[in-house]
Amino acid sequence: MAYLDLIDINKSFSETPVVHDFNLNARQGEFISFLGPSGCGKTTTLRMIAGFELPTSGKINLDNKDLTYTPPNKRNVGMVFQSYALFPNMSVADNIGYGMMVSGKSKAEIKQRVSEMLSLIHMEEFGKRYPSRLSGGQQQRVALARALAIRPHVLLLDEPLSALDAKIRVELRQEIRRIQQQLGITTIYVTHDQEEALSISDRIVVMNEGKIEQIGTSTEIYNFPQTEFVAKFVGQINLLPVVVVNPTEGVVKIGQQVIKAGQFGHLNGNPIRLAVRPEELNHGFIEGANNLYGKVDGISYLGSIVRIRLDIEGHPVSMDVFNERKLAIPSVGDQYQITFPMDACWLI
Amino acid sequence: MKTKKANLWALFWAILALLYFFVPLYGTLDFSLRMQRGKLSLMAYKLVLSDPQFLASFRYSATMGLITIIVSVLIFLPTIYWMYLKVPQARPVVEIITILPFIIPVIVFTFGLIRTFSGPPFQLTVTPFRTDILITIGYVIISMPYMYRAIDVGMRSIDVRGLTEAAQSLGSNWLQILFRVIFPNLRFAILSGALICFATVIGELILGDFLVRPALGPYMVQVGRDSAYQPAAMAMLSWGLTWICLGIIQLFGRGNISRQITGR
Repeated sequence: MAYLDLIDINKSFSETPVVHDFNLNARQGEFISFLGPSGCGKTTTLRMIAGFELPTSGKINLDNKDLTYTPPNKRNVGMVFQSYALFPNMSVADNIGYGMMVSGKSKAEIKQRVSEMLSLIHMEEFGKRYPSRLSGGQQQRVALARALAIRPHVLLLDEPLSALDAKIRVELRQEIRRIQQQLGITTIYVTHDQEEALSISDRIVVMNEGKIEQIGTSTEIYNFPQTEFVAKFVGQINLLPVVVVNPTEGVVKIGQQVIKAGQFGHLNGNPIRLAVRPEELNHGFIEGANNLYGKVDGISYLGSIVRIRLDIEGHPVSMDVFNERKLAIPSVGDQYQITFPMDACWLI
Repeated sequence: MKTKKANLWALFWAILALLYFFVPLYGTLDFSLRMQRGKLSLMAYKLVLSDPQFLASFRYSATMGLITIIVSVLIFLPTIYWMYLKVPQARPVVEIITILPFIIPVIVFTFGLIRTFSGPPFQLTVTPFRTDILITIGYVIISMPYMYRAIDVGMRSIDVRGLTEAAQSLGSNWLQILFRVIFPNLRFAILSGALICFATVIGELILGDFLVRPALGPYMVQVGRDSAYQPAAMAMLSWGLTWICLGIIQLFGRGNISRQITGR
């Protein structure tokens, strides 16, 4: 049963279309991330849900009520901004209680809710501080508590962690997910960070040039990308041009080397490419699996993994291996053999 | 060696600038204290402060200054806020409009006001009250560059759009946003603009003179024509008042910076 329903949403600025035919059904309590590169329309879509932008056409329903033209202050939708947007003239407690204060709640009720919220974000002792005396991570926690204090129907987060450093980002995203699950609040989270989206979302909407490329769980998005854009944007991918030898058995050729692909998709005359993730590749030869030969082009250390770049029949291929102490790392120019199972690759 | 030479030059120019400002000031102060022959006294100040006409004109100008501040804030704050939010591209045009009082001589502007608004349908010069309305309009326009810039600088120092949208998403209407969120964060900017606005109105001569209102500017000119020492005393008093205003701006302005520097 859809709780938040975006139906055929289109948005243009002047004559420039920024969101096309956007359709989404979010269930109550679901955590959905909008993932895509800058300018893909994810923030515009979020702002339409918040009411800061009006759709050029389409409808937004919340709990079966049409919300499309409701002003932002009447929607009861909490929003967390990238820039925190805390009120500098108010203390942390006043910031959190602001939404309740303008809606005319009693002082006692405000005090109690503020105290609940401070405890939810583990900042009980910070109530009297001003935002300027808080770190970025603390300010964003307060912004989250402020948005949640009004008990919103939907929580919207617009790249809330972009301005924070990497370590705080990881901590805070887990914190956001914990609070969201604890309160069971329907949440839309905008990010361009794929790791962030994959790690905390129930479902991810991958967007490109104003259109939805794919909607799915983290596993579906990563392991079964439906378009080339998704395959390339989420994670690393090797795309190798191939010639089809036997379409019924999925046999293709890369240069002179023959391999077998698991899923046979678009053989409708378009150029065909074999897609395989770097972590699916292994060093060696296995009888019955796909095996390719190439030359080592370069090595990159990425901490826990080592990326080996290969040249196979004139095409670049990356292979990721865990960085173990006993790892035998090849040298640039070495001949190298790789192997991968048939179902680890697909054709697009 | 080069730095030492540069420092000496900087010191030379600084001393020259100080002398340029303070020698005439000292001359005026000294002159204002020599009303009684052969000794220094505050006689000129006593005469100025005990003159009922001085008090009446000061009261009038101060009242008009306060009204000008209120009208200016009520006009410029929502206008600049709206411009930042909805039509930021209009800013260069508005900036040009706000410097027009510097370009158009006040006397030309005053004649324009009188010619346009003294006749029907406005007839704003037929009673003292109506003339006060006209003079307030004039003061608002003359002080517009200062008030606009003060509010503009304040707006630039806060995330106007972010704060507005945050307040909207929390259920605020436009009035609540303006008076609970935007206005409190601009209070120091508004105070700066208000004090400069006040100082401008207090010292303004032409509007008060041509509209025949009992303002401080025309009174000071009149006293200057009739006596020698009182104008010097009044110049020192107005100088002191200006410094008090600047001191207040500095005092509150410092608090503003420390509070806002990481608050955005």
